[in-house]
Amino acid sequence: MQNNHYYLPHNREINIFNFAAQNRLPVLLKGPTGCGKTRFVEHMAEKLNRPVYTVACHDDLTASDLVGRYLLNPEGTYWQDGPLTRAVKEGGICYLDEVVEARKDTTVVLHPLSDHRRVLSIGQTGETIKAHDDFMLVVSYNPGYQNMLKGLKPSTRQRFVAMSFDYQKPENEMTIICQESGINKETAKQLVSLANDLRRLNDHDIEEAASTRLLIYAAMMINSGMPAKEACMSCLAEPISDDKDTLAAIERIIDTYFES
Amino acid sequence: MEELIGKTWHRLICQTSQHENETARIHLSDLSWPLTLFYRALGGHPGKKIVPAYATRFRHKRRLIQRIAGTDQKHFISWQDEEHLNLPPSIAYFEDATLNTSLYYWLTAMSAKLPSVDHWFEDNQRICAELLKERPGLKKTYHKLAKACIDKRPLLSELQNNEYEREIAIQDALLKPGNHHTLPIAKGDPFPVWIWLYPAPLRAVPVKTDEQLESGSNKQSSKQNSSESRKMAQRIDDRKQTDGLIVFQAESLFSWSEQADLDRSQIDDMDDDLISVAEDLDIVSVSRQRRSGMAKLKFDLDLPAAENDDLPLGEGIRLPEWDYRKSKLIEDYCLLQPMLADTVEPTALPEHLSNIARKLKKRFSILQTQRSWQRRQTFGDEIDLDAWLQNTTQPVRDINRQDYYQSQITNQRDIACLLLADLSMSTDAMISEEKNVIDVIKDTLLLFAEAMTDAGDQFGIYGFSSVKNTQVRYHILKNFKETYNDMTRGRILATRPGFYTRMGAAIRQSTQILSMQAAKQRLLMVISDGKPNDIDQYEGRYGIEDTRRAIIEAKKQGLQPFCVTIDNQAHDYLSYLFGDNGFAIVNDVSKLPLILPRQYLKLTTMNA
Ligand SMILES: Nc1ncnc2c1ncn2[C@@H]1O[C@H](COP(=O)(O)OP(=O)(O)O)[C@@H](O)[C@H]1O
Ligand SMILES: [Mg+2]
Repeated sequence: MQNNHYYLPHNREINIFNFAAQNRLPVLLKGPTGCGKTRFVEHMAEKLNRPVYTVACHDDLTASDLVGRYLLNPEGTYWQDGPLTRAVKEGGICYLDEVVEARKDTTVVLHPLSDHRRVLSIGQTGETIKAHDDFMLVVSYNPGYQNMLKGLKPSTRQRFVAMSFDYQKPENEMTIICQESGINKETAKQLVSLANDLRRLNDHDIEEAASTRLLIYAAMMINSGMPAKEACMSCLAEPISDDKDTLAAIERIIDTYFES
Repeated sequence: MEELIGKTWHRLICQTSQHENETARIHLSDLSWPLTLFYRALGGHPGKKIVPAYATRFRHKRRLIQRIAGTDQKHFISWQDEEHLNLPPSIAYFEDATLNTSLYYWLTAMSAKLPSVDHWFEDNQRICAELLKERPGLKKTYHKLAKACIDKRPLLSELQNNEYEREIAIQDALLKPGNHHTLPIAKGDPFPVWIWLYPAPLRAVPVKTDEQLESGSNKQSSKQNSSESRKMAQRIDDRKQTDGLIVFQAESLFSWSEQADLDRSQIDDMDDDLISVAEDLDIVSVSRQRRSGMAKLKFDLDLPAAENDDLPLGEGIRLPEWDYRKSKLIEDYCLLQPMLADTVEPTALPEHLSNIARKLKKRFSILQTQRSWQRRQTFGDEIDLDAWLQNTTQPVRDINRQDYYQSQITNQRDIACLLLADLSMSTDAMISEEKNVIDVIKDTLLLFAEAMTDAGDQFGIYGFSSVKNTQVRYHILKNFKETYNDMTRGRILATRPGFYTRMGAAIRQSTQILSMQAAKQRLLMVISDGKPNDIDQYEGRYGIEDTRRAIIEAKKQGLQPFCVTIDNQAHDYLSYLFGDNGFAIVNDVSKLPLILPRQYLKLTTMNA
């Protein structure tokens, strides 16, 4: 089967995921944003030949957004399955990105699906659906400082096969950046060093670390002719901080690689 | 020749501003945060603080001109010690302000790569070369800086023999870093190299500390320190032989007498220096005496001397205590003394907390204006479609239900929180090389207060320790009615570890205070580091039972007690004291400042 989603493994995550899939166990991916979690799930879905339903969770996301709801049409009301229900019925992977963001009432739906029962009960219709054998629940979560208030409840995380992701080691990250943006090795190397400088600033200094995703953006911009410094400012500095002094510092860090 | 005279003359006239360009002056204080970030990003130790360096004396060869016009011996050089990165307080060497700013960043980059300088001449070149290779973006700036520095260095034509050789070597090393290995030896110090780092001057015993005093091992440690400083002086002296660079070390208070002895060869140049050193030594011996005196007081009397202590307010408050053996509340058994630190200076929030405070404030400020949809209302701003659909799709419809509206409401917070901190002696314990528990508690109190001011909830902060039932010391850090400001900050920062932990009495007093606050939710948060105990019978079961009693009384008053502890062993007794959901154990003490606000949010948003 042809794989459209290029994925460079960190470690043994492909094997672990395969075993979890074989045993119909749910999976928790931990790691900062933009380090490749979504890409990994897409890649695995392709390998396992299952559809994937990705839901980006947010603080207004309720159980009905996952399960489904009644909608209106000229004839009256009708029921529409949510992405979770579809994955449960069709045997797909339901990927809940940043699951801690979701409202607490979603755990009520997730718990019976993520233990031995593997059932989805739909309150509004009174149905209970037994999950398809190929259904798999995958959730991700970023254990950084910004989630300090939320965290994942132990009763929830205890249900998952979990693995940690982090930004790739420099050589790998360079490869990914070259692959995804087409930029030359030399510039990719400097971008990765720059990102690692920024990643040394911890949670207290900046909200978000410079992600692989942002590095790829910067590389794409540079590759299409944008001056390197400007590309770094707009792809690596501005997205991770609003603070004037912090931006000034980041600009200086960029300057150490790319003269303006 | 004419040119030479002109230049010399110019320098003589402009003695004071020889290297300075006032309009282009850049101040460290304006750059300290970006420099800190820059330092960390480039791999510098995240715990180090950037501080202004003090001026350091250099022993150049003094020329007649300098003797006439005042000397040019004090310089601001850059160095690092265990805790600090010392940079010049301001830089105005160059006419171009951007170059002065660049110098700060350059020195910071160097420091991040070179935490300690062993061989001044070699290390600096090596690090320059490495930096330029790894970070090609720095090349242009570096060469500008190097050239500008050379322009301001002594004229080669004014130097002779060894000094000439040495200066040539330095200038060449600036232009082609990494090429030179030995610095020719010459008399005195080379003129300071502004873009290089220097070894740390001797500061074996920091004068600031009152902390060591409280730890109870004073006599010994001061002995240790002085022998250590002697050792360091020795080391420095050794260095003199190897690369001819000692003298900026001389500023150090403690090493001065040693240095002066060891270094007679240059004594003729040091007359005026010695006078100021003598002054410095005075300060030192005075502060040493104060320290040992205080230590004695504390250990003889078991209490701080009155003049060093907080101001007692009033006659004290009598409180009961529970004696479990008699199953009886003994009235008026404890005397609690409210105390106020009245001599503190107003203080701003310490730098190391400012960033995280800002984050917490942001997070807490949302609380004030948090809005949410209230669904299933009988009237409201919008139709609640979900409610309507839900009802419409029910097989049996309830026609009396008309709750198809939703409206947005601002969450009303009506909360008062009293934070009670255990300030017992055990908080003096070190958790890392530079911090002890009390420092973390102070950080916690400050951050909590910062956050709370933005949440708009009412809050008070108190601390306690005790010496038997007759002296329960209850420190007012921030009263409920008081606004949180630099004064209260100063008070929090001035707290010191006290004595023992008579928790029951402190909780009873806190209960009284909190009960007087009008609020729907009243939270009594206790920060502790161990079991209740005191040096009388208040230990083991007795202390636990009394504390438990006090907590039960608080609950009866409608208060919600909660304990955050850093005692790993606390599980056994805390659930007995505060109930299963009434406490949190912090495993990593340094996380306390973050965990407390998190707990607070948990406790106050769950019920909202
Ligand atoms: N291991 C990897 N192999 C290939 N591409 C990767 C890898 N890690 C990250 N990427 C690239 O980074 C981008 C962001 O990753 P993504 O999976 O969206 O991150 P996350 O889901 O963790 O926030 C991807 O679109 C992909 O281009
Ligand atoms: Mg993602």
